[in-house]
Amino acid sequence: MKNKNFVLSLIGALAATMMYSPAYADKSSDTLNIAIDRELESIDNYYNTAREGIVISRMIWDGLLYRDPATNEYIPNLATSYEWIDSKTLQFDLRSDVNFHNGEKFDADDVVFTMNYLADPANGAKPARNVNWWSNAEKLGDYKVQLNLKTEFPAALEFLSGPVVMYPNEYYGEVGPEGMALNPVGTGPYMVTSVEPGKRYKFSKYAGYHSGSPKGSASIGKIVIRTIAESNTQLAELFSGGIDWIWKVKPDQAQRVEAQGNFTVKNSSTMRIGYLNFDASGRHGENPMNDVRVRKAIAHSINREGIVEALVQGESIVVNSLCFPTQFGCTQDVAKYDYNPEKAKELLAEAGYPNGFETPFLAYRNRDYAEAMINNLNAVGITVKFTYLKYAAFRDKVQDGGSPFNFGTWGSYSINDVSAITSHFQRGGKDDYSRDSEVMENLKTGDTSVDLAVRKDAYKKALSRIAEEVFMFPLWSYNTNYAFSKDLNFNPTPDEIPRFFTATWK
Amino acid sequence: MTNLPQTTSTLPVSGLKSRVLRHKGMMIGSTIVVFVVLLALLAPLIAPHDPYQQDLLNRLKPPVWDPRGSWEHIFGTDHLGRDYLSRLIYGSRISLLIGIGAALISGVIGTFLGVMAGYFGGRVDMVVTFLITVRLSMPVVLVALAVVAIVGGSLQVVIGVLGLLLWDRFAVVMRSSTLQIRSMDYVTAARAVGCSTTRILMTEVMPNVVNNLIVIATLEIAHAIILEAALSFLGLGVQPPLPSWGLMVSEGKDMMLFEPWLITIPGVALFALVLSVNLLGDGMRDVTAPENRN
Repeated sequence: MKNKNFVLSLIGALAATMMYSPAYADKSSDTLNIAIDRELESIDNYYNTAREGIVISRMIWDGLLYRDPATNEYIPNLATSYEWIDSKTLQFDLRSDVNFHNGEKFDADDVVFTMNYLADPANGAKPARNVNWWSNAEKLGDYKVQLNLKTEFPAALEFLSGPVVMYPNEYYGEVGPEGMALNPVGTGPYMVTSVEPGKRYKFSKYAGYHSGSPKGSASIGKIVIRTIAESNTQLAELFSGGIDWIWKVKPDQAQRVEAQGNFTVKNSSTMRIGYLNFDASGRHGENPMNDVRVRKAIAHSINREGIVEALVQGESIVVNSLCFPTQFGCTQDVAKYDYNPEKAKELLAEAGYPNGFETPFLAYRNRDYAEAMINNLNAVGITVKFTYLKYAAFRDKVQDGGSPFNFGTWGSYSINDVSAITSHFQRGGKDDYSRDSEVMENLKTGDTSVDLAVRKDAYKKALSRIAEEVFMFPLWSYNTNYAFSKDLNFNPTPDEIPRFFTATWK
Repeated sequence: MTNLPQTTSTLPVSGLKSRVLRHKGMMIGSTIVVFVVLLALLAPLIAPHDPYQQDLLNRLKPPVWDPRGSWEHIFGTDHLGRDYLSRLIYGSRISLLIGIGAALISGVIGTFLGVMAGYFGGRVDMVVTFLITVRLSMPVVLVALAVVAIVGGSLQVVIGVLGLLLWDRFAVVMRSSTLQIRSMDYVTAARAVGCSTTRILMTEVMPNVVNNLIVIATLEIAHAIILEAALSFLGLGVQPPLPSWGLMVSEGKDMMLFEPWLITIPGVALFALVLSVNLLGDGMRDVTAPENRN
């Protein structure tokens, strides 16, 4: 074991010496060095869709509300209180003791500016679904605003406590998205001290952070986030001490890192789930997936438990409903399909395919999971023509109706509500391959009612029908492995948004 | 004088044979190539397991020389529990198929263009030279990546794309060889007695450029094998679950810090095959044209 550790350290050190710049990390310099694997196009919260951008956004900016990740309770943040005036009108009282990082005072003008700027489609804020559900905001006083919704939108509080953050009206009006991306200014627990786009971002603790924030004040003085695309290089940097924290560590790698004993490895479930999507309605033309018996046969042929245990690992679980269990409206009380290859063969024979058939099969991530499923399908006589694409190509092909059968995943943008996944895939949108009127009607009821009981009932009906007809076949939830220095206290959350402002040194 | 005809008829063959046997590089190269070809041909008989059979409970078993390894899986198992040795053996089929297939397609295109340009000269030469220049200005890997990304990766697509991209060296060499030969007396004589162009090309020119053709073909086989491995490594070559060596390296790279054998084994196989094909090509050039040996 000692020898192995020595070899690993040696490899790590060698790889680290090849990096273009040295790192000055660790507890002694109060600097937390973090590696991410992608180049962010922008760190302006409204012109970024990458998860790493969302993580950074939570450090720099605040929303009117904040969802406690432990209790899922909505707590006022930049607001002091909120009230539903009617099903389409929300009023907020705002904090008067908040300043932006540049000294600009936070007040109702900032909220009105931000909300009205985002509500204008011409400004192109993305993703559109985060910002397209209100019509405008009105100033009712220096510290009081009213938000007018386009229609009933039960998930409003969820969005206002997450992706919708407040910008300084004067500064943003002056510099715009380009200026904000290069020199971001917010009210959050960390202020940005340096931006090298796509490469490196430096933060320091915001000393003037408002004391009443449910996020709490940051403890660690400085944070440096660097882009290191290759996972082995990230690991090598971690081993050599150049990096203190990495995530998305592959399960097999995480096991080995943990076995070394030099780092803390934590695993946390995420809202992302995997699914198989079938062309039930014939969008792709006539194909075996049009037949519910074939879809059920496929559901019985996939050994989800085996794949979760061997490959997905961690806190992942098999899901039977097209949603993540903690999401509002999600129920697992739907038709279930156990792993039963014999039953699958019977269903195929019943559907007129006693010797199976060949079908195209698309995927864009987790090639090993896809291969394991292909093996299961082969065992019941279904052969696939497998195509593995980059995400953008996969998405375009699927949305253009070019895929009768595919394996995808969805993270719901960490929105803890069924509308963020089930409605996305089954309410007649580009990804909807079933176009079932009953499902669409129920989802519409759930998406637009503010009566919680009505919503739950509508979603249950929709999810039950989806499962009964196997319009889509949910597979498993995902998990993320975090590996970090033993000097660090860090707790991951199920919404897959690391909160570095809650991290501390030991 | 009575022995002279016998001597002249046997000397070149025996000379060739002795040159082959004395050429160490060629002997090593041909031995490895023959070994890999036999592996590919006899894969179903030799492979200890089904290369596609997954066993998720026996994933990432190390090879036999590791204390944790066993003779059940001599080279261990991959991330899906498939026998690594069996995948390596079947992978030789993919590498050879792509190497030979791509070299065949590019050889036909390049030889046709090169011989035409060299024999006819003038405008034909100008057009072919332009085509060669255009082709040389395109980075092979990037073009192959782009095409495969658009069309989708598969064995046939990879062979086709590489075949259409690797003809330039054939064309350049065939053109210059044909240029030399077309001014030879025997070609002039054939033309003078009224032989057709096709006959001159097939019976006078081709037999005299075929040595160069074989040498270039071996180099391009090696080139195509490396390119396929690169494409498969990037996820754009042959598609899973086909056992390509490049794909095996790609699949093993996540664990390279912990289980280096996952990339070392297919990497060494790839290295050995490409080196041996190149050694064989160099050797063939040396023994068939010893005057050019350096």
